[in-house]
Amino acid sequence: MPMRSVFYLLDSAPYGSEKAFGLLNAAAASLGKMEVTVGLYGDAVYLALRGQDSKGLGVPNLAEILYAYGEMRVVAHEPSLADRGLFSEGLVETVELVDEEAFLEAMEGSDCLIPL
Amino acid sequence: MKTLTIILAGGPYISEDAMMAYKIADAALNRYHVNIFLYLDAVHIPRRGQDPAIFANEGELFADLAERGAVIRACSRCAAARGYLAEEDGTSRDYHEGIKISSLYDLPDMISESDGVISLCR
Repeated sequence: MPMRSVFYLLDSAPYGSEKAFGLLNAAAASLGKMEVTVGLYGDAVYLALRGQDSKGLGVPNLAEILYAYGEMRVVAHEPSLADRGLFSEGLVETVELVDEEAFLEAMEGSDCLIPL
Repeated sequence: MKTLTIILAGGPYISEDAMMAYKIADAALNRYHVNIFLYLDAVHIPRRGQDPAIFANEGELFADLAERGAVIRACSRCAAARGYLAEEDGTSRDYHEGIKISSLYDLPDMISESDGVISLCR
């Protein structure tokens, strides 16, 4: 049966490699074709923080991609934020905080899981 | 015929991902239409002229899959970033025959038309 939804799972920090940028590009390209969810787990939750400034790194500001594709569902794993002391930090408004169970449900509810 | 899509994001030899993808695709071609999408460093896999000495030549293995009917596409942004340029028809002088550079939009097309998707991305 054809796939109707896809869950892109990121568990690495946004600026340490090309992975986060690649995952967001793939997710953006999938919009309109399938229901798309991006899941941020572990160090990937740093991508959810508001006020990112990547100019010094010479790479795109990945938070701007989240703002640009507001229709993309982005869920951040709440315990990962708490474990990193980020719970009181401001988040990108389009990001949805979810607990362990809801994160798992979002993954299970998708036809296809793509970890990157 | 059912369709299987394999997604790779790592380069050749650094891990077993490319070899695993080859073995899965090799077996699947008997029963499935097989797509392989090469993303990020995986765009190095189809490069011609590899000489890995102690490993099987993964570029040639993927060329064999393409010759047997697998549709193998490499992300154009990732390929250009790594110096692989596409001709108008998507072929590249740097790549083995049958493997093309194409748009990232081919990825959701492949996924949405598949009965199964295997992501080998570490």
